[in-house]
Amino acid sequence: MTKESNNSGDASVANPSLGADLVIPALALAFAIYFFVDIADLAWEAKANGALIGTILVVLIVIQVARLGLQLARGEGRLGFDSLLGPREALPARLALVGITIAFVVALPWLGLTLTLFLSMAAALRAMGLKSWRKTLLISFIVAASAWGLFIALLETDMPHGPVEIALSKILGK
Amino acid sequence: MTWDFLAGQFAQQFGLWWVIWPAILLGIVVGILPGFSPQNTLIMLLPLTLRVPVEQALAFMIALYCANHLAGGIPAILVRIPGSGGAAATTLDGYPMTKKGQAQQALVLCFTASVFGGLITTLATLALLPWLSKMGLYLRSVEMVVVMLFGLTLIAVIAAKDFLKGMIAGFFGLLLGVIGTDHIYNTPRATFGFLELYDGVPIVPALIGLFAISEALVMIEEKMIVTEEGRAKAVSAQWAGIIDGLRLTVKYWWQIVWTAFVGLFIGIVPGAGASIASFVAYQQSRLWSKHPEKFGTGIPEGVIAPESANNGVTSGTLVPTLALGVPGGSTAAVMMIVLQYHGLVMGPRLFVSNPEVAYGVFVSMAVAYIFMIFTILPLARYMSRIVLIETSYLAPVIVLVTIVAAFVERQYAFDMALALVFGVIGYIAQKTNYHVTAILIGVILGPLFEEYLVRALRLSEGHPSILFSSTLGNVLWGLLALSLLLPAWRGWRRSKQMAAEQFGD
Repeated sequence: MTKESNNSGDASVANPSLGADLVIPALALAFAIYFFVDIADLAWEAKANGALIGTILVVLIVIQVARLGLQLARGEGRLGFDSLLGPREALPARLALVGITIAFVVALPWLGLTLTLFLSMAAALRAMGLKSWRKTLLISFIVAASAWGLFIALLETDMPHGPVEIALSKILGK
Repeated sequence: MTWDFLAGQFAQQFGLWWVIWPAILLGIVVGILPGFSPQNTLIMLLPLTLRVPVEQALAFMIALYCANHLAGGIPAILVRIPGSGGAAATTLDGYPMTKKGQAQQALVLCFTASVFGGLITTLATLALLPWLSKMGLYLRSVEMVVVMLFGLTLIAVIAAKDFLKGMIAGFFGLLLGVIGTDHIYNTPRATFGFLELYDGVPIVPALIGLFAISEALVMIEEKMIVTEEGRAKAVSAQWAGIIDGLRLTVKYWWQIVWTAFVGLFIGIVPGAGASIASFVAYQQSRLWSKHPEKFGTGIPEGVIAPESANNGVTSGTLVPTLALGVPGGSTAAVMMIVLQYHGLVMGPRLFVSNPEVAYGVFVSMAVAYIFMIFTILPLARYMSRIVLIETSYLAPVIVLVTIVAAFVERQYAFDMALALVFGVIGYIAQKTNYHVTAILIGVILGPLFEEYLVRALRLSEGHPSILFSSTLGNVLWGLLALSLLLPAWRGWRRSKQMAAEQFGD
């Protein structure tokens, strides 16, 4: 809450880029429209609650857009997205972390938990600016080995198996 | 039930220390990770619990269940990632305490509130079991609609600083919570064609995305998650921090007691769980506080309330399971399977045919809580040091490990992608001051609210007057109105006082 509440009160005053403030309302509005279209033909029991919530949400969004419009008209801000993307120095690391996470989700079914986690950790640590390869490989190994120990060896979850899991299960005779 | 019988039960449970301790440690480890709910862990360990004698199986399951409830608050306090939905409200004041360099005190408060809250309600359940078992019969869908509204009013509380943004976030969460099949005809709604969303938005990926992933994406802007002052305090963390936490526990003992009972009463209702209990306890604590404006800034009451209620639920959940044979929650359902495998039939007859099991469950719970406080309290000092790890190490670990945890609950790769989507939504919300907790409250409580509302309306063939048809329900409506009007009245009185002071000057 701190991050939000500490500056929520005067966020719009301190930050002139009001375009960012429209992203959540835009997403919410798009979802509300999709929701209304999707439930149109359903029985009242299936749509009463959602229709009520959606209607209130749309009203709130309209008020918020009007509020931001007034602020823009009064010259208290501009349509920018700086507050969403900033600070610029952290942006490459942030995008890299999202990209690596997407790659992790895609690669997991083929490479298995341990190897995918090891490779993704190493890539993420490098993207975060860690220079030492030794440290990178050591931390990645510890995280991957711990995940294997907890998720696969101890709790026997159905995590996707890859070459490492197959080799280990043969070695350990499981 | 005689004193001799009870003493014998306690002695027997203390003798099972070799079962309870490993269960506590395992419960803490899996409780810290979002995605490992106690029921999931117990299902995974069924081959073990079905093989050992019933007393040992029960002691193991109960200790793991309670420790799991307690541990969810640890990451909520340290890195703003609740280990479960029941710990989501703990982030509101726990994390700000960490940022101020009071992680150790916050952890101690989390542990003591959880343990004493759980212990008090367990002993109360032992004493009042026949009466408590009837309570579930009085709280029906009509009354539960109002209880859910108590939880939902927390959205308005959180939204206090920017009401419009908070309400948009809350209602966006509520609408996301409606995704999935409806409760009467099972027709899918707004599922984007994904079969994985037919059961609704899964809580764990939503929680991981909104808190863990979004927080990791934000935290990399700073070198550390704590301020320089907070870092200095964390570096010099001494045992005195634990003593200070214990002092605060004594100071707020009454709050631990009453919020624990909030958890107990909500836990008794089948289907209602720790999430609603902790949100209601937090909201009510803020309402009756002498300084409500300080909630959310990192105060002890904001940690005690949700944690005490979260563990007060543990004994409440087992009341309908044992007394009526109706599982109070999914964990209780798994325990019921184990007991039935051992030839025990749940319901009122259990207290006559196997009193050592029926009462033993609560004795086992009390003993587990006693063991737990001695196990975990000394660890607070070392756990609080996690804030000294640089965010360049912490962020990748948080993102990648929690996204794995998103897979664990339902074993769908889809849930990992969903966690990432919620992570991006959470990041945007955090950066633009739309409250992620408000979104999560909506996602968690939205489906529950709808379920009870539709069930009630169905009984009256759609007539809303049923919502005001019961005495208990009307009393709860009155209290809800009071909850909403009291802060407004206080605000009006404060502004009047300020105006009078200004006029006086």
